[in-house]
Amino acid sequence: MATTSMQRPDMSLTDGAAIRLRDIRKSFGSIEVLKGVSLDIAPQEVVCIIGPSGSGKSTLLKCINLLQPPSSGTIIVNGVELTAPKADVNKARSTVGMVFQHFNLFPHVDILQNVAMALTTVKRMPKREAERIARMQLERLELGALIHKRPADISGGQQQRVAIARALAMEPEVMLFDEATSALDPELVKGVLDVMKELAHSGMTMVVVTHEMGFAREVADRVVFMDDGVIAEQGVAREVLTAPRSPRLQEFLSQVL
Amino acid sequence: MDAFIHTFFDIGEMLKVFPTLLTEGLKNTLFIAVLAALLGLVIGMVLAMMLLSRSWFLKFPARLYVDIFRGLPAILTISLVGLGLPAADIRPFGRSPIGYAVLAVALISAAYCAEIFRSGIQSVNDGQMQAGRSLGMTYLQTMRKIVVPQGVRNVLPALTNRFIIDIKESSLVYLLGLTVGQRELYFIAHQQQAISYNSSALVAAGICYLMMTVPLTYLVNAWDRRLREGRRSLKLKPATRLSEV
Ligand SMILES: Nc1ncnc2c1ncn2[C@@H]1O[C@H](COP(=O)(O)OP(=O)(O)OP(=O)(O)O)[C@@H](O)[C@H]1O
Ligand SMILES: [Mg+2]
Repeated sequence: MATTSMQRPDMSLTDGAAIRLRDIRKSFGSIEVLKGVSLDIAPQEVVCIIGPSGSGKSTLLKCINLLQPPSSGTIIVNGVELTAPKADVNKARSTVGMVFQHFNLFPHVDILQNVAMALTTVKRMPKREAERIARMQLERLELGALIHKRPADISGGQQQRVAIARALAMEPEVMLFDEATSALDPELVKGVLDVMKELAHSGMTMVVVTHEMGFAREVADRVVFMDDGVIAEQGVAREVLTAPRSPRLQEFLSQVL
Repeated sequence: MDAFIHTFFDIGEMLKVFPTLLTEGLKNTLFIAVLAALLGLVIGMVLAMMLLSRSWFLKFPARLYVDIFRGLPAILTISLVGLGLPAADIRPFGRSPIGYAVLAVALISAAYCAEIFRSGIQSVNDGQMQAGRSLGMTYLQTMRKIVVPQGVRNVLPALTNRFIIDIKESSLVYLLGLTVGQRELYFIAHQQQAISYNSSALVAAGICYLMMTVPLTYLVNAWDRRLREGRRSLKLKPATRLSEV
């Protein structure tokens, strides 16, 4: 009885939060990288995570969809407890889109197949249907002209937008971004940030690890500052970024701004 | 000098065996090598998956297999399989030695293919697995559709090299006592040499082997160069610079 109810989305588990992290800890060997992180993210909320290199931002983000299983703690996404022993992690992951710093497109297939692949394998769509949706998603991001190219033959900005299209084609309820623009040449950053802004305005729930303080200030509902494996400070974007309370955040902001 | 030429390059002796080499030997050599290579690829891929598994129960037997079959001389493995199995009344291929010959070469080839596949798969950037999994694909789906195709492409030259060795190793099955019609290149030449005490038949067989192996060697080199250059030109492009590291 407990196992079946765990599979079914139950938003009352989290009082309506789209993502609930409770006391997440993660160690690599003897090094503890996350030292007890708790965070609730509401549906349609945009949360930016900032913090110095090595503070555990990527690790936390990868915990949310269990790419990095936490050593301990509870993760509930869209009413499904992923840390429950019998959780259908693959199914849950298909509702959480992830965009990586280095795009991680599939270099051996064309752009259209990059987007369509998960639709046929995970959603078991017929090939034609999958390709129709992939094409639509790519056109929406103004990538329609590139569908028969290989990832290596398009610009980094285009690659990252394909990666976003690939995630969006799965119709996720949550999108995770891990420094989506930091591997891009400066002139290509804006195009990707524009897509992310649009997505935020459309009501997508987003967790965005970023060094783009302008983006955080403009788009984020909340900014979370991580330092040394814990959330050191958080709050409304404008307040956190303009009137930091902790000395560590003050120091961090003075370095990046 | 005349004796040397007579022993190794007697045109008459060569012409005597060439028809048999080409009609019977070449066919059987290729039959053994190709079938063994295909079987070796399949078993090798399964072994590679086991080697990459986190489960000790899968990894250990695969490791053991690979270490044993890579560590034994080919001629010993071929004797064990081709002479040993039938003697122990294990006769999946009846009395015909050719089935045992294929199996023996395949078992050896599989051990090497396993290591080749493993290294190829491990050379694929970890981000590929993460991207596949993040979309909800299972480990095996991600392996099959994303990681393995890329990994295999990286090791095509190494696999072709292995096929060259399969061709050469197929000659060792002569010790299973092939009958007329089953004889591969070396066996035919060996028989002729035993009759005539002249090595020209062996040279003729050697020419047949070289006709297969030398072009393949050049193919491997060209392939290898292209893969290397492809990788380098990708690195130079700013768009993919970082995703390549
Ligand atoms: N797979 C891993 N194995 C071992 N250590 C790891 C692994 N992944 C991350 N770490 C370590 O965990 C710590 C936090 O890494 P993480 O990538 O989460 O930091 P980050 O805040 O994202 O930093 P950056 O801004 O540089 O991306 C680092 O010290 C890193 O070396
Ligand atoms: Mg990071």
